[in-house]
Amino acid sequence: MGTNADAAQEPPLLTRVLIGRNPKRTLVRIIILVAVCFVIRGFVLLPVKIEGPSMLPTYPDHGIHIINRLAYVFHEPQRGDVVAIGLQAGDHVMYLKRIVGLPGETVAFHQGQLYINGQPVEEPYVRLRDNWEHEAESVGLDEYYEVGDNRDMAWDDHIHGRGKRDHIVGKLLL
Amino acid sequence: MKKWGKRIILLAVLGALGYWGWTVLFPSPEKVIRKQLGELARTASFSSNEGLMAKGWNAALLAGFFTTDVQVTIDVPGSQHTITGRDELIQAALGARQLVNSLKIDFPDIKVTVAPGKESAVVNLTARGKVAGQKEFYLQELRLRLIKFKRDWLINEIVTVRTLS
Repeated sequence: MGTNADAAQEPPLLTRVLIGRNPKRTLVRIIILVAVCFVIRGFVLLPVKIEGPSMLPTYPDHGIHIINRLAYVFHEPQRGDVVAIGLQAGDHVMYLKRIVGLPGETVAFHQGQLYINGQPVEEPYVRLRDNWEHEAESVGLDEYYEVGDNRDMAWDDHIHGRGKRDHIVGKLLL
Repeated sequence: MKKWGKRIILLAVLGALGYWGWTVLFPSPEKVIRKQLGELARTASFSSNEGLMAKGWNAALLAGFFTTDVQVTIDVPGSQHTITGRDELIQAALGARQLVNSLKIDFPDIKVTVAPGKESAVVNLTARGKVAGQKEFYLQELRLRLIKFKRDWLINEIVTVRTLS
């Protein structure tokens, strides 16, 4: 049961909603929240906006997604992973591609079909396919072969190929 | 004690102001290069309402960013060619202005490495170009070599590079 004296000490509703009953505690909470957001944004999760058709139809143009920067801390990238690839000058602009070739493998395309080490590979995510032709290419030991899901684009218009491991920023999470 | 506190704060403020003034008056080579590249992007961009005279003038302004013997090597899928010399570069810039109505260029990422003697620098940058009326933008990674000339840094070489090869 509250008394009249308690009611008199109670701050107004607006103040309570905006800064809480204890402003010092609210301030500490805000500082912690900002610090946590800063750390997560800087080192864990990275929001990205897709520009371009190379990942169609899986990831449409202008879609917003989240990259997990810590995805490859404990294990190496796997075939089929969709990854963000930083460019040589920085990572304000990145490529979003799918890993199809792993280190030491050979990658080829024949009539649009992907071949790894000479064997055809099923790619359920590819629904748009042109007749890409590309002779077997060896992937280096610190490289991955990365390509978009939209294989309907002309070979020359579609940015893809071997990329260094250290350019992989993270794995697409959402 | 209070007096000392005030003095220390005043000294810190003066130190910060002095440092800021120093960096404004004597900017680092990296800062100068970044500023010049920003100006280059603005000069290389053009809009559809640019008149004939302005086109020529802006293309000529572009020449000021390069050495006379500049070499541009373009090696992208489907296109390989080299531009040698400033005059050829101006012609190429004018040609681009004939091909498209407008072009907006920016460099979202710039990585500058200044040589120990501070007389040359290598810049890796991401160039993004947007043509009016087109949904997508063009992206190209470039490596530039710059040479210090008096107080300016002039581009001596441009090479296209690829993260995915």
